[in-house]
Amino acid sequence: MDDALAGRCRAFADAWDALGHGRAVPAYASVVLRFDPIRLPPSDAEREALRLARDLHRIPNDRGRVIEIPTRYDGLDLGETAERSKLTVEELINLHSGREYRALFLGFLPGFAYCGVLDPRILAPRLVRPREHVPAGSVAIADGQTSVYPFDSPGGWRVIGRTDVAVFDSAREPPVLISPGDRVRFIAL
Amino acid sequence: MIRIEQTGLRATVQDRGRFGHLRLGIPPSGPADPGAFAAAQALVGNDGAAAAIEVVGGPFAFRCEDRRIVAVTGRDVALRGRDVVAGWTAAFARPGETLTVVCGERSRFAYVAVSGGVTTEAILGSRATYLPAGLGRPLRAGDDLPLGNARVDAERAGRSAVSPDYDTGQIRAITGPHAQRFTDEAQSLFFSAEFQVEPASDRMGTRLTGPRIDARGGEILTMGVVAGAVQVPSGGAPIVLLAEHQATGGYPVVAVVISADLGLVAQRLPGERLRFTRVDRDLAVEALRDARAELEAIA
Repeated sequence: MDDALAGRCRAFADAWDALGHGRAVPAYASVVLRFDPIRLPPSDAEREALRLARDLHRIPNDRGRVIEIPTRYDGLDLGETAERSKLTVEELINLHSGREYRALFLGFLPGFAYCGVLDPRILAPRLVRPREHVPAGSVAIADGQTSVYPFDSPGGWRVIGRTDVAVFDSAREPPVLISPGDRVRFIAL
Repeated sequence: MIRIEQTGLRATVQDRGRFGHLRLGIPPSGPADPGAFAAAQALVGNDGAAAAIEVVGGPFAFRCEDRRIVAVTGRDVALRGRDVVAGWTAAFARPGETLTVVCGERSRFAYVAVSGGVTTEAILGSRATYLPAGLGRPLRAGDDLPLGNARVDAERAGRSAVSPDYDTGQIRAITGPHAQRFTDEAQSLFFSAEFQVEPASDRMGTRLTGPRIDARGGEILTMGVVAGAVQVPSGGAPIVLLAEHQATGGYPVVAVVISADLGLVAQRLPGERLRFTRVDRDLAVEALRDARAELEAIA
């Protein structure tokens, strides 16, 4: 997980979108380039993609907005995760709320932002047995990352808190609270 | 306007998909069987961006307020009005006439197109319904759906499109982006074995059981995925992603079903079998070109 690499993927995706062939989907270290293979033969798409990759250093990284997420740290996995990390609950809360994260990309659910990077002292592997039901607004961590569940959904991340802020609202523009590239802070309530 | 009289198990408005917000994690949605959807639109003279209705489990019945051309497509479907009109055939709808989509035993996703297209309010740039995020809602009896203006060309009635052979379980696929995660044996097993469709299959994906396909190295770094991608989770049971697939996925993709055959996968019923045939990218593009040419011929 690498903020700079994910930033380059986002910039690459922006550059592909600007060509108008179709939309790109960036992630940690990849970009899926969508296009209509009848209008743009795949070999031409490859050539265009390579050209963009060569010129990518000229594309500035997005700065992102700062998004604050008021959080009640009372999640189901808070105690166990603190214990596993050999931290007190208070120390874990301070570490989680004490730094700024970058929304590397969105995926999994509408508005679900993969935000990194957690303090390495927090040891939070994914749950071995994902939960059937994680409530909307759950603030969760896993594998060096943190996020907020936009909807009730199954999920394998460790729930450490919750927020009342709507993470996804189709009536809003943009509909997501956290956009790719945004800087995210959790404010302990 | 059309009035919905019966909805079947579930009926939703769909356009070809919401592709503009994948980066916000919003699945494309749209029709599970894009070929049948496009054929229905072409039969009634709509362009590819128009919206139609996807019906799961009949009977679905509706009434047109004014004269329209209508068509139903999908697997094992027909349209009953004053007469019964076969699926994949355009029909003339008289004002006030109730038309019922007849879903046969092997029906799964049916598409009802009306000339002018359904013009419900677009959300985030699309009319594709995506229920998990509240983008649109299931249709209810009594709903009135607005339609776009259309010149009613009565000559269209009786025009038909050729349905694909939905009873075949032969699905063409290209090698996937993570093929190196699979041994040659695992790949040749995937492209020769028979799989069975699981009841848990839905608009998100067709879940398969069969011989276990093992990937090396477990999960991949989460990345964007497309409809047709065949993901292999750690249990070794492949999932073919469909319209409501998540924008990103973390399982290795062994193969990608070609666009022209997506509907054949979506329309397989639980318990039915299928096999994958490996084709190259050029053939995949040719098959899509042929499918589009057929639509242009009827439009």
